[in-house]
Amino acid sequence: MLRALRAYPTLLRVGIADMIAYRTEFLIWALTTNMPLVMLAVWNAAVDDGPVGRFGRPQFIAYYLITMIVRLLVSNWVVWEITMSIRHGTLATRLMRPLHPLWAWSAEQLAAVPMRLVLVAPVVVALVHAAGSELTRDPALLAIFALSLVGAWLVQFFLMVALGLASFWIESSFGLFEVWMGVNAVLGGYLVPLELLPEWLRSSTGWLPFRFLLSFPVETAMGLHPVDVALGDLGIQWAYVAVSAAATLALWRAGLRRFAAFGG
Amino acid sequence: MIEVRDLCKTYRVHQRPEGLAAALRSLVHRRYDEVHAVSDLCFRIADGERVGFLGPNGAGKTTTLKMLSGLLHPTRGTLAVDGFTPQRRDEAFLKRVTLVMGQKQQLLWDLPPVETFALNRAVYGIPRAEFDRTLTELTDLLQAGGLVGKPARQLSLGERMKCELIAALLHQPRVLFLDEPTIGLDVSMQATVRGFIRAYNERTGATVLLTSHYMEDVAALCPRVIVIDKGRLLYDGELRALVQRVRPFKRLSIRFAEPPAPEVLARVGEVLSLEGLAAQVRVRGTDVKDAVRDLLGTLAVADLTVEDPPLDEVMRDLFDGNTAARGAA
Amino acid sequence: MRPTRHVRVLQAQLRASVANAMQYRADFLLQGLLGLMWVGVSLIPLNVLYRDRQSIAGWTWPQALLVTGWFTALRAALEGAVSPSLTAVVEHVRRGTLDFVLLKPADSQFLVSTARFEPWKVLDLGASFVIMGWAFHQMGRAPAPLDLAAAALLGLVALIVLYSMWILVISLSFFIVRADNLSFLFSSLLDAARWPVQVFRGALRFLFTFIFPLALMTTYPAMAMMGTLDATTAGTALLVGFSFAAVARVVWLRALRNYTSASS
Repeated sequence: MLRALRAYPTLLRVGIADMIAYRTEFLIWALTTNMPLVMLAVWNAAVDDGPVGRFGRPQFIAYYLITMIVRLLVSNWVVWEITMSIRHGTLATRLMRPLHPLWAWSAEQLAAVPMRLVLVAPVVVALVHAAGSELTRDPALLAIFALSLVGAWLVQFFLMVALGLASFWIESSFGLFEVWMGVNAVLGGYLVPLELLPEWLRSSTGWLPFRFLLSFPVETAMGLHPVDVALGDLGIQWAYVAVSAAATLALWRAGLRRFAAFGG
Repeated sequence: MIEVRDLCKTYRVHQRPEGLAAALRSLVHRRYDEVHAVSDLCFRIADGERVGFLGPNGAGKTTTLKMLSGLLHPTRGTLAVDGFTPQRRDEAFLKRVTLVMGQKQQLLWDLPPVETFALNRAVYGIPRAEFDRTLTELTDLLQAGGLVGKPARQLSLGERMKCELIAALLHQPRVLFLDEPTIGLDVSMQATVRGFIRAYNERTGATVLLTSHYMEDVAALCPRVIVIDKGRLLYDGELRALVQRVRPFKRLSIRFAEPPAPEVLARVGEVLSLEGLAAQVRVRGTDVKDAVRDLLGTLAVADLTVEDPPLDEVMRDLFDGNTAARGAA
Repeated sequence: MRPTRHVRVLQAQLRASVANAMQYRADFLLQGLLGLMWVGVSLIPLNVLYRDRQSIAGWTWPQALLVTGWFTALRAALEGAVSPSLTAVVEHVRRGTLDFVLLKPADSQFLVSTARFEPWKVLDLGASFVIMGWAFHQMGRAPAPLDLAAAALLGLVALIVLYSMWILVISLSFFIVRADNLSFLFSSLLDAARWPVQVFRGALRFLFTFIFPLALMTTYPAMAMMGTLDATTAGTALLVGFSFAAVARVVWLRALRNYTSASS
């Protein structure tokens, strides 16, 4: 643990240099996060006939731009890293190092954040300019928003590691990942604000993890919930952090036993 | 069959600097290095020859092979293979050559090799009867009959190489470029592949140009070698003559019936070792006859063998000498 | 290369793809379910949008549904016949085995474009026909035979444009090493084609009509099917389709030349 913390700054520095070396690939990845803009354009045409529930034009603008920001900051590529390293056998090299691979993976993903902030900056400017009035001014909610971003990053990280580790048991975890993506797009609020979903879909979003990865921070930033409700949701989110971390570590140990037995 | 004149290949390589600050700087300003992979290379290979292409890592062997097979454009110089200019990639040319790379594979990973063969039959437009005949011939030669129906991913390295060779030769090419065909294989599989290449060459009269790290391959297969280092031609000619030039000494291993007189041994050549009744003496190749006569005449010799220096050592001497010569110049 | 040999090569490649697919029967189920899931995911926002309004940008619910049907068909074509080969080329470039393709006495563009298929995507194609049928059922009529023919022709143009854009993307992969992202970018951009192009305004409309002609891929075939596409637009679409194909061919040849004179 101590050694990991001492090595961490170096890991981050190397990670950032690596990010810069692959900047073109990074830009291409960032461009794949274009769905919120398309959905915004669609809703923009739809609200000509009046708002939908609480959502009018400014609310939609705020919602989708914040969605874009959160998505850019929170998502990671760790599924690929892990699946590839298991499939190509490079995991063995990582295991040889006197450092838990989870530390290395988290550093690699965290190192991407500065580059992502560069991309997020213009979106923030556009957001403040076009829909600044829709952002919450309540300092308590802003603090909850900040914590919820950290929580979302952690849950996302642990869940994606778990998905990647599935490659220990199944041929390819990409199919599983695709299922996750589809469900997440609907139940995480990536496509449509959750409160506009039909009732039968919305009822499940309160306790499933998807909302806490994306929609919850967005809703908080827009001040859609009072402080006490948001605080309760934050508690659920951090419970998910703990559960996903524990589950991932257990999965890691089981996977390693299998790796040792079958040699990947 | 193959003619190479003044062949040059130069790469521009982007320097990827180390460190964060330097990486940031390289965002704006990139620096390039020129790498001369091949410089002023000239040689000719006649129809049906088997030629070994030797050199240390990074000598330019693979680059040259790729230019000969039309995958890379030369920076300067002219190339002709069977009357074609390779980089034009004429269909007729491509049907006449093949390239086997020991470290890369063309077999479809998840499917049995027969599927790759069928695909190549379609791509090369090989008539069915001819295809069947060639396939039978090749599988017999390589004893690969049981392998072609298993998915490629389940084959061992050696089995996969057998199937790679079949896939590469189905269209009966006239020129074979083999880049490290035996890499990673065990000794007996190396011998199998070697024997196959020789048999194929003798049966079809195809020209073979082969690179390998295993000197055994070259010694067993290639009467002639072309040696390059740092992109330049170092030697072109008979393997035997090369050995004589670089290592003009032979090694005499002698067993005596009774302890020999050391001064007689020293008279004959340089004594490498003398322990009890066994001795090793290094003698200049031209003096071997006299040395042996002298030893047999004056000492009680029980057994005597004359050995060539190992080929690996010859190569090491050659490249070390090359480096030293450059250092001096 | 004679045309008959093209057909034979295509046959052989298809056969290999089917043989490959047959090996993984679990994939069949997974792919089928994934296809259904994505159809479902694409219908949810549509459903939310039309819950309390009659039309958006002049498109009624069944009409928009028809566009979704065409989008499903197009994505089936992309994922069944186009992107598997893209992935194969990217893999070739990364592992350096593209040399084997270039050594074959056949057109390299043809060889790489037919390298791999995903036969299971036929299921998605079936789903797309069901959606189109459902849309017409809700309109309470059947398409006129002539309109069907026009729609089929435009569908072909859509395929050509899609294929050409894909070749352009591949050509890019010669310059970018970590190109796995490219296919994701491509399908994420294509995602906007699920909406009628009239929904978009200003710069986006221009982009999707002329630069990245999504209009041509789903909106125009759908309009042709309903008989609302005028002849000038249809003619222009044909013209654009073939110029795309020509540009793609030129770029491919140039990229290939660059590859052979630069790689090691």
